Amino acid sequence: MSNKTTPRAATFVAAFEDLGVTHVIGLPDNTSAALFDLLASHAAIACLTVTREGEAFAIASGLWLGGKRPVVVIQNTGLLESGDSLRGTAIRMAVPLLCLVTYRGFAKMTATGGGPPIADGNRLIRHDFDSVALVTEPTLEAWGVPHRLLDVGDHRVCVGDAWEQAHRESRPVALLITQAMV
Amino acid sequence: MLTKEQFLEPLARYRTDEVVITTMGVVRPWSEHSDSDLDFASADSAMGHAADLALGVAMAQPYRKVICLNGDGSMLMSLGTLVTIVESGVENLLLFVVVNHSYEITGNQPIPGAGSVDFCAMAKAAGFRRRYDIQDAEDYQGRLEEILAADGPVFVSVRVAPGEEGPISRSDGESARYLRTSLADWSRKFRQALSP
Repeated sequence: MSNKTTPRAATFVAAFEDLGVTHVIGLPDNTSAALFDLLASHAAIACLTVTREGEAFAIASGLWLGGKRPVVVIQNTGLLESGDSLRGTAIRMAVPLLCLVTYRGFAKMTATGGGPPIADGNRLIRHDFDSVALVTEPTLEAWGVPHRLLDVGDHRVCVGDAWEQAHRESRPVALLITQAMV
Repeated sequence: MLTKEQFLEPLARYRTDEVVITTMGVVRPWSEHSDSDLDFASADSAMGHAADLALGVAMAQPYRKVICLNGDGSMLMSLGTLVTIVESGVENLLLFVVVNHSYEITGNQPIPGAGSVDFCAMAKAAGFRRRYDIQDAEDYQGRLEEILAADGPVFVSVRVAPGEEGPISRSDGESARYLRTSLADWSRKFRQALSP
């Protein structure tokens, strides 16, 4: 029996409220859509959608410079697109930044027993894997970004723990969201 | 066409408590006119992300004007940011694009569309209500006070002659104070300068 907990957008919003998050910057996908829908009318947390995910890290870094408490919400495909922005802004500037990264392809990858390693390039062209899932965690590890799966347990606590790590270590921390929010 | 000196000197003269974010070919020249804790060099950072970084600062500090001195090559790298700026609703962001048609830091190789891309037209299409297309020093001097006073977001394309700035480092060998420390250290100092 699975002990996975379906992530609820309202739980994330409640966690953001606990943490004093001022801005959510990102790009919705099917997994995070419910969160963006909820935030669209939130009175205290501003939500800004970007045109490309790399913008989100630069904007969030600027918000932090100006004294705000931003969170980035993007898909793992967008994380890959963001590489130099993440490296050159949030990481290089030592910005304590929580990043919620939705994990496209995770279910398919785990169902077929095929996580990393990906050294065999042929794995990236197989139709039974979503290649972005295969490279997500190895990429975060290569970039030195601490990351954890938000899969089981109390999601509100998980968000708080990741936020606390980002602030304790003054760097971005990724929380990987494996199931669609409701 | 303006020289960098003709572009930067009047701006520094009129500048009071505005944030100024520089990148690429104006990072060092701006430091010859300003040595403020409210200056931030998007250098040793991520090319193409000065304007969006400036947007974040502007969103965080709505009562302070934020001036971004972007390059044309840098602007081309993230044109979508023009739309994001307008969408954000900020009124305190002044975005200059230094149009020199080249990647100056690497030896003035031409940017794509050099001489044919109309940055003001792109800003208009993105929704910037106030746009200025500055081609010479006299026009610039005559409009600068108006540009600085205008409600934003404001977009200014400034035609500037290519210079000879080389690669930018962060080291004790740099004369600019904001380059003689790490990006992380300057970020902390800058953040402190912005705190109440």
